[in-house]
Amino acid sequence: MAAGNADVVVTGIGMVTSLGATASASGEAWRAGRIAQRRPLAELAGTSLEQIEVATLPEFDAAERLGGRRMIKYMSDAAVLGCVAAREACEDADLKQRFRPERVGLFAGTGLAAASVKEVLPMVRESIDENGRFSCQLFGKRGLAVTNPLLSFKILANMPPCIVSMIENIKGPNYIFTPWEGQTAAALFEAWRAVATGEVDCALAGAADNAAHAATVVYLKQAGFLSDGEYPSAGAAYLVMERAETARRDSRPIHAHITGMGLRPSDGPTFDPLASRMGRSYAAAPAILLALACQAPDEFSDHTGILSVKICGVDHQEFRAEVRGSE
Amino acid sequence: MRRVGITGFGVVSPIGTGRDAFWRALQEGQSGIDRITRFDCSTFDVQLAGEVKEPLDLPEEVARVAAEDPKVGFAYAACIEALAQAGIRRLGPGMILHLGVSLEIFHLEKAVCNGKPDFKTIAERSLSGKEGPLQIPLDTATALICGAFGRPDQALTNCSACAAGAQAIGHGFRNIRAGLCDVAICGGFDSMINPLGVGGFQLLGALTTDNARGSGACRPFDAARNGTVLGEGAAVFVLEPLERAVADGKQVLAEVCGYGSTLDAYSLSAPDPDGDGAARSMMAALDDAGISPDAIAHINAHGTGTRLNDEIEAAAIRRVFAGMWERIPVSATKSVTGHLIAAAGAVEVGACLLPLVRGLMPPNPSLEKVGQGCELAHVTGKAAPFDGEYVLTNSFGFGGQNATLVLRRTH
Repeated sequence: MAAGNADVVVTGIGMVTSLGATASASGEAWRAGRIAQRRPLAELAGTSLEQIEVATLPEFDAAERLGGRRMIKYMSDAAVLGCVAAREACEDADLKQRFRPERVGLFAGTGLAAASVKEVLPMVRESIDENGRFSCQLFGKRGLAVTNPLLSFKILANMPPCIVSMIENIKGPNYIFTPWEGQTAAALFEAWRAVATGEVDCALAGAADNAAHAATVVYLKQAGFLSDGEYPSAGAAYLVMERAETARRDSRPIHAHITGMGLRPSDGPTFDPLASRMGRSYAAAPAILLALACQAPDEFSDHTGILSVKICGVDHQEFRAEVRGSE
Repeated sequence: MRRVGITGFGVVSPIGTGRDAFWRALQEGQSGIDRITRFDCSTFDVQLAGEVKEPLDLPEEVARVAAEDPKVGFAYAACIEALAQAGIRRLGPGMILHLGVSLEIFHLEKAVCNGKPDFKTIAERSLSGKEGPLQIPLDTATALICGAFGRPDQALTNCSACAAGAQAIGHGFRNIRAGLCDVAICGGFDSMINPLGVGGFQLLGALTTDNARGSGACRPFDAARNGTVLGEGAAVFVLEPLERAVADGKQVLAEVCGYGSTLDAYSLSAPDPDGDGAARSMMAALDDAGISPDAIAHINAHGTGTRLNDEIEAAAIRRVFAGMWERIPVSATKSVTGHLIAAAGAVEVGACLLPLVRGLMPPNPSLEKVGQGCELAHVTGKAAPFDGEYVLTNSFGFGGQNATLVLRRTH
């Protein structure tokens, strides 16, 4: 759980979850005990999975939150969520004004690739031969012609965080891990360590995932990663971490101190404390959990004043973080 | 802080499987680039790639997955070779497994049912087990390796595009150096040689369509370069504390002594025209190694063969190594392997072992006339002798992620 002697604090939090389109809305809904709205997926109607519902995200205007539409055409749904959450966290910490871009690190998790069925079907339709089979020849001749040239940007796993780096002008050390909870946990741990050891002055760390996607739901069910009664969700959370002395120097409000963080392999069952009320957002879940904990550690901590949060994902990596409120 | 040595290296590449075959082909400048055989590419503008030619000897379970997703087999085979060389039979506490990879494979043919694209029927068939899974997650290789060899403290899947393999090695190096683990099994694997992979990159204009050039189509730093060529494969390394490896009587192939990581924050597909991110990555790695630029005796460039990347990288190298770049030989091994995307950084660390272990710098055989702005001390024609101490290798990723590693000769 150790990563040097530095006091690492969280000064920025951003979230888009099934409980709220902002960090404060998500946090308030969580503390009030609310449960996500759900909806069926139209693509799964008439299949054996039609009874599965996914969490509904609250409506929000991504272009307004990001200050324009310029990059949105390049973004997958998960990337949009990630960029909106990252923007909120960076603004909360006043990151752009306070740190040199080269001294800010980016540490992120991303989920399974989720190309939109709407984008894939036209190119497949154009590539079916007279025998009713997919033809590479026709794909090269006609399928590619109707393929969105930006599709690669939407499905490459590193793109959501890379777009965050461009929008928020982050130029420092970085890692991007995929596709489950344990990988995002590793990203959060690397961020915490990089700040604690002085490798960076500030870290933007978090994840975005869209598990509420038809193809992903099929995979989750097939792999046994979605138990009966569980429901998938999309979501994103980013946190700004820095040293306490820097935050105090700049008179920035401190949400919480991260006093410990650790990862270990686990043979036990998977455990997601958010699942029953928010749905399972897989790669996004550890970041959302840490963001919720950092928002109001005092409300949940025990007599020691330390709030310990734990999650164990489908990749059987158990993540634990210890959080303390600001004095 | 501890010093870090490479005690195991395994590789599957378009120019050979196994480190001896790989080094021999590199030394001789043999190209692995040829017409795509993996699928019918006759109507594609892009018809060349660096495919892995040799069949791999894989356990049944891995072979079954590799039949759907070849890159998983590449990762497994490279890992077995690296572990065997390092004398490691089991993974467990004190170890990290960290592999880079870029993108899930999409089998477009699976989207067709009864003569039409029909997601519902496909989903049902997939759920009933009549078809393979719709998705093969990127952590499948690490999961299979853990299943066969045991679970380390951390099993990580890095998706930092073309920087992923180098990042994984940099992460392993940092963890051992700081005493956070004793063994890091790290590297990268990838294959985009499938219809959507090749087609997607073709649409982005990143690949050469100069199919008539055949094996010489990937031309890093050449005046006639007009795009890269996709390759596939994997490279995996075992890193251990150097002193302990020496005490245990292990062969240490090289020392890893510096790592730098930066972001361009500029564009999704194009590098920063100032080469700022690339230059900062190199300077960070030199700083991390505690050496000045004049200690570097050889550079393995990212060198993709695209118009923009090569010119910008060359400028960044000239800036970082100002006043000395003319005497630092530069190799660009994508000329023979093609661009292995997430595996590229790892395979190119393997290429850096050729000078460090065998004293030869690999040539860039397709470089005939240096392009404007690409002036560097290129190694052309045939392999050149190497008697220096430090080597630097660059990996610059799609999306603006940059990683640089510095290696040192140990014998």
